[in-house]
Amino acid sequence: MTRLATTLTLLLGAVLTFSQPAGGQTKYHEAPTLTEQVKGGKLPPVEQRLPEQPLVVPVVEKVGEYGGIWRRAFLGPADANNYVRVVYDGLFRFSPDGADIEPKIALGAKASSDYKVWTILLRKGARWSDGAPFTADDILFWYKDVLLNKDLMPAVPGWIRNTDGTAAKVEKLDDYTVQFSYNEPATLFLTAVANQDGADGSYAMFLPAHYLKKFHAAYTPKDELDKQAQAASFKTWTELFLTRATPYLNPERPTMAAWSPVTRVSDQVFTLKRNPYFVGVDKDGNQLPYIDEVRFTYFADQQALNLAAIGGNFDMQARHIQMTNYPVLKEQEKSGKYRVLTWPTFGGSDAVVNFNMTYNADPEIGKLINTKDFRVALSIAINRDEIKESVFLGLGEARQGVPAPWHPYFPGKEWATKHTEFDRDRANKMLDAIGLTKRDAQGIRLMANGKPATIELSVVPAFGAWPDVAQLIAKDWEAVGIRTVVQIRERALHFKLNDANELMASIWNEDTTAFPFTGNAKFDPRVTPILTLGPLYTRWLLSGGKEGVEPIEPVKRIMQLVDTARTVGRDGQIQAAQELFRIWADNVFEIGTVGLTPMVQGVVVVNSRLHNVPTTVGNDWPLRTPGNTRTEQYFFAAK
Amino acid sequence: MTRYIVQRLLLLPFLMLVYSFVIFAIMQAPPGDFLTTYVATLQASGTSISAETVEMLRHQYGLDQPFIVQYLYWLHGLLSGNLGLSLEYHRPNAELIGEQLGLTIALAVMAFVLTWVIAIPAGIYSATHQRSPLDHLLTVINYVGVATPNFMLALILMWVAFAYFGLSITGLFSQEYADAPWSLARVGDLLAHIWLPALVLGIAGTARLTRIMRANLLDELNKPYVVTARAKGLREWRLVLRYPVRLALNPLISTIGWYLPQLFSGSLIVATVMNLPNIGPLLLRALINQDMYLAGAILLIYSFLTIVGTLLSDIALAMMDPRIRMGA
Repeated sequence: MTRLATTLTLLLGAVLTFSQPAGGQTKYHEAPTLTEQVKGGKLPPVEQRLPEQPLVVPVVEKVGEYGGIWRRAFLGPADANNYVRVVYDGLFRFSPDGADIEPKIALGAKASSDYKVWTILLRKGARWSDGAPFTADDILFWYKDVLLNKDLMPAVPGWIRNTDGTAAKVEKLDDYTVQFSYNEPATLFLTAVANQDGADGSYAMFLPAHYLKKFHAAYTPKDELDKQAQAASFKTWTELFLTRATPYLNPERPTMAAWSPVTRVSDQVFTLKRNPYFVGVDKDGNQLPYIDEVRFTYFADQQALNLAAIGGNFDMQARHIQMTNYPVLKEQEKSGKYRVLTWPTFGGSDAVVNFNMTYNADPEIGKLINTKDFRVALSIAINRDEIKESVFLGLGEARQGVPAPWHPYFPGKEWATKHTEFDRDRANKMLDAIGLTKRDAQGIRLMANGKPATIELSVVPAFGAWPDVAQLIAKDWEAVGIRTVVQIRERALHFKLNDANELMASIWNEDTTAFPFTGNAKFDPRVTPILTLGPLYTRWLLSGGKEGVEPIEPVKRIMQLVDTARTVGRDGQIQAAQELFRIWADNVFEIGTVGLTPMVQGVVVVNSRLHNVPTTVGNDWPLRTPGNTRTEQYFFAAK
Repeated sequence: MTRYIVQRLLLLPFLMLVYSFVIFAIMQAPPGDFLTTYVATLQASGTSISAETVEMLRHQYGLDQPFIVQYLYWLHGLLSGNLGLSLEYHRPNAELIGEQLGLTIALAVMAFVLTWVIAIPAGIYSATHQRSPLDHLLTVINYVGVATPNFMLALILMWVAFAYFGLSITGLFSQEYADAPWSLARVGDLLAHIWLPALVLGIAGTARLTRIMRANLLDELNKPYVVTARAKGLREWRLVLRYPVRLALNPLISTIGWYLPQLFSGSLIVATVMNLPNIGPLLLRALINQDMYLAGAILLIYSFLTIVGTLLSDIALAMMDPRIRMGA
């Protein structure tokens, strides 16, 4: 944590050094379209729109030019995170490489020496996109009227919860200072804050109080709200409030982002226009963003979207671009007037087999899955090179679900490749050694009860060509005498079966290795919903041991490590993470196959004229990629 | 005749009630509900939602109620003219459907017109020039047209257009016109895009219609009145168009009513593949995401149009053929 805190202090210092109070030496510049509006008296001059200390955004290549439309595509309202990723409208955000957290809308943050009290500083003079001032009251409104309102938020989210279940205390010290007080040390506070940007249809931790009060029961009479709700076909005022508070559902809702919506995500074209009050400038004092407008065109079908991408119809897009199209995209680079970048996943593994450690529909199978040697044998029975060549186009490497080598949590190469060598003989010997010696006529091993050992592998065609991976694994497992039935399922059904503890094994990806202690990490059975380990562990833990199955020792140790990490500094966190991943790789609760490929939103199509797009970045959902690449400094060159 | 129509109309509310129940039951049949799908989507993007929040939403949406209560609630809304709220879009279903309606109908009418404009002359030519080389060629094209699923044809055309002409033929508008206000230029842009999807949608119908037209006309052409007229020296094309063609068209006209539901829903798969902004993809999404009130609303309108379309066909047939009017 010290490292992070230092970084923040440094960044804070940098901001202070670069920016001058309004009316000082610095002359600010603005987009020509805004100058016209200022001349027409529709907007105050740029000096009055920017805060006293603006955010100075470093540029990747060079200072840009104003103008242009960033063309993108989206798949409809369920794809709202597409917007979230582009604007990354947060108080803090992850740096492009994902290793640090930097202030964005906020000016900075300070922690007490015991990490129990955090203070967030805001920028004096910062304004919402409608020109209203952004102050501590906007955070307090979120805290008092949303977070603590049982109708809107039935449960306090984990990141702002003390261990006794109460919410941490949030107080306004002055208009530009907000203090968060926890009962215990909260060393992961900023990591969480960097993701409170309204993703996944949640509430951002700062809301335009001046606008939203008229939709809130604490400020507006109930019958008036009911009337409004009814007019919009809603049953309760809470639904009305949520839709009014969500930028992509309501273009009237002011934002702090570089671009604000002017249409809705349910429209055919979802358009964002530049926010004239955005707090960021480049080093020459040009107010950002450079690009005027972002346009998301609706596609009903992912294939049609990919065809349009190949035709050069988008200016910068990685989302929904399928890795299998990488060769075609490369081929068409010239005619489509774009370049293709690859941003590999942020560690982990892009196709893993999750074993259900608490499977009990067939006790014999359950016993096998709980035998470590059985899992190891199945891991080394897999020919990962074949998967890499035929499914991942030869990209990436064979690895378990552990962080990338450049990440501080990386436990070492021997653990990343643990149990990944292809050794059919040894797999056979191991399976013999655990008593699966008898075989039927087809060479399938028989269990103690005389039935053939059969693993059902449930697959959802979600991100990657996972059904193909499953078929290759099935072939390898049958070769060592384990019958494998591949079941390709629709997503909702798969999750329902998982909840009901009916899946034996399933394929997904391991994408949470950089954040094992926060969010939806796949290593801690207390996180719900969870696809790893086993649903009955979760039930046991949530019921206080009354139902379900008690987790085995290595899993308990992982939980201990997660708890420790939340209260210790950066070095302690690194140590805990490395131990966690050693346990994870060694126990193969999840078999990693191939990782570090650009499978998940990592094939990036960029218009040849678009500049300041970095070639290498940390690419992950918590980083809101491409949001962490500071999209406001992208620009189109004239030719 | 009037009594017949009134009888049929009286049956309509009852049929709609039965359909609404069946539709609702089928939509509830897949495992899970809208929130299960929603949670699964969140999981896929690497985030979680607390169990309490899911329960709150489930309660808010009324998804925790027993099937019959949910159905009655929905029915109550329908009877008071409210198609309900889309769970995914957070907007009234009537508004969502209304937005797509114009283009949906434009596309369907276009497909319908293309079908008839191509099929009737082709059918007439094939019949009057039976076994000529062009008749054989048309026959081959017809068989291929009937046998090729139209989404397949759409994919092939999209690929050909892209690979050989560098054209991206998805959607109904160029990007600059997609959300522009209506203007002459936008109509032009629409016309430049709409003919291909319309052709794809209409091709199977065209092929079928040509075959029927050909067969019907061949039956008529050998009848004595044609021979008589020809013997009396009536000009060939005038003879054919005035008498046999009119008779051959009758059976086709009686099927016009069937186009009514199609006008509304278009072709679901073609529209999705070609990225057409009509009701097809809206329905598909609603079904996939278990946005059941939206899917229900669309299916219900579809059922209604099917009933009305069949009724119109029956009436047309009854008007033309008195034998149909049983009990009248």
